[in-house]
Amino acid sequence: MSLARKLRYGFMKDVGAPLVMGLAGVKSRSKNIRKPDPLFGPPLKCAERLKEIMTRHYFLSRYAEGAKPVAWVTSGAPVELLRAFDFYTIYPENHGALCGAQKLGPELCAVAEEKGYHQDLCSYARIDLGVCFSGKTPVGRLPKPDLLFASNNICQTVMYWYRVLSHKWKIPLLVFDTPFNFGQISRSEINYMVMQFEEMIPVLERISGKRLDQKAFENVMRLGKESAMAWGEILAAMKTVPSPMTIFDAFVHLAPIVSLRGLPVTLDYYNILLSELKDRISKGIGAIINERKRLMWDNIAIWYKVRDFSRLFAEKGMNFVAATYTNAWAETISYMDETRPMESLAKAYSLVILNNNLDHRLNLMERLIDEYHVDGLVIHSARSCKPYSVGQYDLKRLLMERKGIPSVVIEADITDYRAYSEEQTRTRLEAFFEALEGGS
Amino acid sequence: MIMNGHPEARARRDYILEQKRGFGRRVIGVFPAYYPRELLLSMNILPVEIWDPPLESSHANAHLQSYICSVVKQGLELILQGKCRDLDAFLFPHTCDSIQNLASIVNDYLGIEKPCYFFYHPKAPYKESSRWYYIKQLEDLALRLEKQFGPLNHHEFKKKVEQGEDLRRTIGELYRRRAEGTLGLSNVEFYRILRQVEYLHPDDFLPVLTAILKRPPDRKSKGLAVIVSGILPNPPEVLEHLDRLGINVADDDFLSCSRRLLARPAISTVPFEAMADSYFGMQPCCTKGSAIEDRLKSILDKAKSSSAKGVIFQMVKFCEPELFDVPILVEGLKAEGLATLVIDTELNQGMSGQLVTRLEAFAEMIG
Repeated sequence: MSLARKLRYGFMKDVGAPLVMGLAGVKSRSKNIRKPDPLFGPPLKCAERLKEIMTRHYFLSRYAEGAKPVAWVTSGAPVELLRAFDFYTIYPENHGALCGAQKLGPELCAVAEEKGYHQDLCSYARIDLGVCFSGKTPVGRLPKPDLLFASNNICQTVMYWYRVLSHKWKIPLLVFDTPFNFGQISRSEINYMVMQFEEMIPVLERISGKRLDQKAFENVMRLGKESAMAWGEILAAMKTVPSPMTIFDAFVHLAPIVSLRGLPVTLDYYNILLSELKDRISKGIGAIINERKRLMWDNIAIWYKVRDFSRLFAEKGMNFVAATYTNAWAETISYMDETRPMESLAKAYSLVILNNNLDHRLNLMERLIDEYHVDGLVIHSARSCKPYSVGQYDLKRLLMERKGIPSVVIEADITDYRAYSEEQTRTRLEAFFEALEGGS
Repeated sequence: MIMNGHPEARARRDYILEQKRGFGRRVIGVFPAYYPRELLLSMNILPVEIWDPPLESSHANAHLQSYICSVVKQGLELILQGKCRDLDAFLFPHTCDSIQNLASIVNDYLGIEKPCYFFYHPKAPYKESSRWYYIKQLEDLALRLEKQFGPLNHHEFKKKVEQGEDLRRTIGELYRRRAEGTLGLSNVEFYRILRQVEYLHPDDFLPVLTAILKRPPDRKSKGLAVIVSGILPNPPEVLEHLDRLGINVADDDFLSCSRRLLARPAISTVPFEAMADSYFGMQPCCTKGSAIEDRLKSILDKAKSSSAKGVIFQMVKFCEPELFDVPILVEGLKAEGLATLVIDTELNQGMSGQLVTRLEAFAEMIG
């Protein structure tokens, strides 16, 4: 790390970023004076703050290279360990979602495809490789990493994808290998994961030039745990009828717990959001004006359709109040214990939904259906995400048998809208709406 | 395990029944790819691998999306068509996301009354913990199998591990002879014989290989050489066509073949330790998370030692682990002056006219 870069980063953090954010905020506020929408309740006030946080994160990342150790990290990796070494972290999946929401997926995927990466591959990966090959990104520039940190607790795909990055940049790849839970997690599996953490420490010390500060690590663990608990409370607020926010809001407000987990800003932000939701609940304010039916979403969002779907379902008086996806960052938080950091991280990160057998997912979905008073289920069969999608047809059938709720499968992709058919989706949704209304 | 009209499938079923009746062996259907074969054999269990059963896929489509690979689809189809009646259990190694979830579908949702066993093997980059965990996994699988199949006989285990070493050595010799062009087998013959490893007991398979190796060297077969990479040599028509074009597959990088059948000799003589030596001594593989540069080096070494002119990547459609590696492998091979061809295939679907033309153009290019 160079002193000049450190000074520049410090200056941008303390002076440049607040200035730029201030200017951007004024511009954004003057642009975003929206008329009330008859379908929706008032927009969440804290959304502006979220925009500032994420813009600042990507803005500052441009100056992190050479000033701080930079790591690119998968969404399910135990980042707490890296935070203790003061890594600046970039989440390609979060960045991919952002590109998807801005409908840039096909353009960036095409760059990777031209280099030989097949269209059947995960579109988060193709977007990321497209960004790496072209340098194009809606956030200005992504810093080149010093380290790659991947955990296969969400999929094996990240392991294949990060190997490509490791090859391209000739930088180390740390893999946190989480044995899949076909049944129950065993003592030897926990020991294996703890041993991996112990093996990572010297690598992290070498790259960051710092020794592991146990106190700082415990503090990060505490912050990560409290943030995830706050996120869990935010999601639980949607149990209220009418729900004070929709799952489409949650898809957006998920960004800090994914990308900034273990940092004070995340906890602060979620406390603001939670307080606003509680206020809305006390005043009976719903996210949509006429909440007649409550739905659950399965799988990652279809990022380029979030806004359209939000309107389409709101027009029908249907509100998404639960999702297996958003729940993933709160589900295992009870295992986190800063007094036993390694073992608790191993449990919290290996017991997440996608590292568990399908029976686990079925039970979770049944519980969410009951707790959130869900009337129907929309299943996104995502070409990009096989661990999330393989088994969904059986889940649909079993949930119908056990809970008697209608459901629909939408064949699509998370960011590549070339794999989405508007006509087919509309036809399926019309049938679903009919089934749902028939059940009222 | 029967596809009554298919001669090889019929041979498999007859063999399985003979093994059960004649040797009191139990049979486990094993999905791809890496599993501790010797452990099963030492418990008098015959592993029968399920890679590409020749079936029309119909039932599996009700459970799996159109974008799932045919290895997973055909495997599920075999179960759903009731063609696994002769099996006593299933074993699912943790190979990829799709096989992982297939295991869960079969175990959790299909209501089949056969025990399902799972085997997780550590993913690279390997550390000390990886080896420790791999041995723990072996011990744990042994304990689970003992509940159904009776106690592990450690003397028998040691013998089977030694036999496994012998088998790898023999297959290694088969590969070496083929690479030098003295084996005298066509591409089709070579893989037809080698793939018997998927269901023959080593007591029967080893003599087949030994007999081939005892034949006098056949120097006529040295022709234009290529390496073939991918998951498995299917559809076999690709091999047939290469034979017709006078192109010899001098070596391979198939997951079902050299990547798991060859390994450095084990150092330890303690069975669990020796099995770990073998696992970590196998060739680099994307499904185990090996670095791509290691795999590239391995293919380049094969090309060099067999004087191959090019590499054909025979891809199973939708196979993510392979698809991620290919662009870097192609780039690296081209940089070393090797021609490359990437072809998309579906299991048991033969070859399209376009594919025939592409193979012919490739042959002309390297000829």
